[in-house]
Amino acid sequence: MFKTTRRATLALLAGATALSLSLTPARAADNDIVIGGSLPLTGVFAFAGLAIEAGMQDYIKIVNDAGGIDGRMVRMAYEDTGYKVDQSVAVYNKLTSQDEIHLYYGDSTGFAKTIAPELARTGEMIMGGASFASELNNPEAYPYTFMAGPDYSEMVGILLEYIAKETPGAKIVLVNSDTEFGRDPIEPTRARAAELGLSIVEEIITPPGAADVSTEVLKLRRARPDYTIFHGYVLSPLQEFMSQSRELGLKTKFMGTFWSMDSSIWNTVGDPADGFMGVMPYRYYYDDAADAPMLAKIREMRPDYQATGYMQGFLSAMLMVESAKRVLANGEELNGKTLKAAMNTIEDFDTGGIMGLPISVPGNSVPVGRVYQYNAGAGQMEPVSDWISLQE
Amino acid sequence: MIIGTAKESYRADAALLTTRPQQVWTAILLAVLTTLPFVLNDYWLYLTCLLTINVIAATGLNILTGFTGQVSLGQAAFMAVGAYTVAWLEREAGTPFLLNLVLGGGVSAALGIVVGIPSLRVKGLYLAIATIAASFILHFVFVHWESVTGGNTGINVAPARFFGVELTTYFGLYWVIMPVTVLMVLGAANLFRTRIGRAFIAIRDRDISAEVLGIPLLKYKLMSFAIASFYAGVAGGLWAYFFRVVTPESFPFMASVFLLAAIIVGGMGTIIGGIVGAAFMTLTPELLRFVVEWLGPWVPNAATLLSPVRTIVFGALIIGFLVFEPQGLAEIIQRVRRFFRLWPFKT
Repeated sequence: MFKTTRRATLALLAGATALSLSLTPARAADNDIVIGGSLPLTGVFAFAGLAIEAGMQDYIKIVNDAGGIDGRMVRMAYEDTGYKVDQSVAVYNKLTSQDEIHLYYGDSTGFAKTIAPELARTGEMIMGGASFASELNNPEAYPYTFMAGPDYSEMVGILLEYIAKETPGAKIVLVNSDTEFGRDPIEPTRARAAELGLSIVEEIITPPGAADVSTEVLKLRRARPDYTIFHGYVLSPLQEFMSQSRELGLKTKFMGTFWSMDSSIWNTVGDPADGFMGVMPYRYYYDDAADAPMLAKIREMRPDYQATGYMQGFLSAMLMVESAKRVLANGEELNGKTLKAAMNTIEDFDTGGIMGLPISVPGNSVPVGRVYQYNAGAGQMEPVSDWISLQE
Repeated sequence: MIIGTAKESYRADAALLTTRPQQVWTAILLAVLTTLPFVLNDYWLYLTCLLTINVIAATGLNILTGFTGQVSLGQAAFMAVGAYTVAWLEREAGTPFLLNLVLGGGVSAALGIVVGIPSLRVKGLYLAIATIAASFILHFVFVHWESVTGGNTGINVAPARFFGVELTTYFGLYWVIMPVTVLMVLGAANLFRTRIGRAFIAIRDRDISAEVLGIPLLKYKLMSFAIASFYAGVAGGLWAYFFRVVTPESFPFMASVFLLAAIIVGGMGTIIGGIVGAAFMTLTPELLRFVVEWLGPWVPNAATLLSPVRTIVFGALIIGFLVFEPQGLAEIIQRVRRFFRLWPFKT
């Protein structure tokens, strides 16, 4: 009879580890085009990682069902990072030593900045990702990076554009979280607001996990702004801000940026969320506009609501595939330089309605978006502006 | 079977490697470390470098917590100080990187002394809270002292240069990181053959008795903080050259918990404990990736479905080791050694 001793258990563990290591499937050097991904499937950002993965996989499926790129199938190789930079880099190294990768999706600003020197050194790939950091929107410093939407400053820029049109000379309060993510657009926002004749009457910085915002709400009451723009949060503490301000009878309109614009997170808040506005670069899952055939297709593939991260992943995969297509059509080799050059040739490109305008990618970003407002009754985000492009 | 090691002098008795097998194994280890970069691919080389950086930081913390008995949850903040110092020197002064590393350790050690002052009045959990406070204060400084730290954006670090060669690949960096680690670990092991190290242990075992024995607590407690912070600073400096960008979010509070967990799992108060603990904490999540991958053919969409399981298994393993081996992984190594030493007799 086998006795479970400590030694036997240890031997068993060691054996299992050795077995799993030796049985790692050795991937043949196939002809697939591989999109690598450091995705946050666990941890604080897992909700986005899971949605992004689904979006990318679906677009890849559409491409493969249509015969792939030039007969070559597209495949995704990705692993969990827990939204930690050192793990993202580990995944990057693991995937690149297993497969030939020219397209990559990274999960954070920190990772994008950390891996940038390596991208420049190898020159093998272009990288998109979940970060819209303004710093990355600089083709000189980050030649192989792109983002499938406007950067954070451009997002706030789109909101300012809307405000200037609706309420000329409006008073604005900025509320930002005390993180790299949160502080990102403050400087450019000040400059742009001044240009548009809007006045920023107060800037509030909160700690990232702040739960008690009563003192900040009092500041808001003193400032009496027409609009309050949040950036650097997903949900909390936006709902506290909104319900407390409502109790004080403030008339300010609350606005947010991409990561706090998913309608399913506001559904959990319910009525106090009614009227929340913000900028969104993509159409929502339930948008049945006539010029959005891709959304009809998505609803066909996934009968349930898909979060905003899904659209972001979907469009990222679309831009990657389109660039690879153009490179191969030119008979060139896939690498960072050719792919980025091909991406920059994308002009008036039809996304099938994911974005409401034909898009161009002259630099690292796609500065297009639309202002939406949350309707608590319907549980949906409804457009209140036309599509706004900061290009030209 | 070794029945005993006869020592003929105090020198031999205090030597680092006292038996023949120890010497042979150490030689084999050094040979393996030298050949590693030639056999490993980038992924494993990356992990090896990351692991060795963690080994330095964990060994430093082990000196403070494991050997001197001063619980600290500020080790990551001291790593950050070292990293920022190196990044700043690289940007502003352009001094040679080895000097930067030493200065990074030095600045960190100086701050360590300041943070260590409360240890003269508070012990245990209270001291842990004091060090947490210090790490939050340091985080605030990193965010707001923009002219030096670059605020939230942080500092991009130029690659280390060695005789005109830029160390940008993991292969190149390994030849810096590994020797520094070996040196630091050797230093730590040697420390406990000296009066200073033995004073640390005396303070851990009973500080009042230590003082009665003539060990000035002020001097030695602060010295322990300084040494631990120096280790953290050097580790942080290597980290800066390894990742090439330092931001306030590079060294979160959880990294301190990670290091404390490493020495607890590895074995507090043993040099080997810091090493195997750091190895366990760094490599286990990665090895579990292979288990997930291995299950891939049987579980559709394995990476998405099993990633949370991976985190749970990692946690369960830590708890398992604490329950079944409270002395840490180092104790398992000791047991294996005893087994072979007495073989074929039962231990």
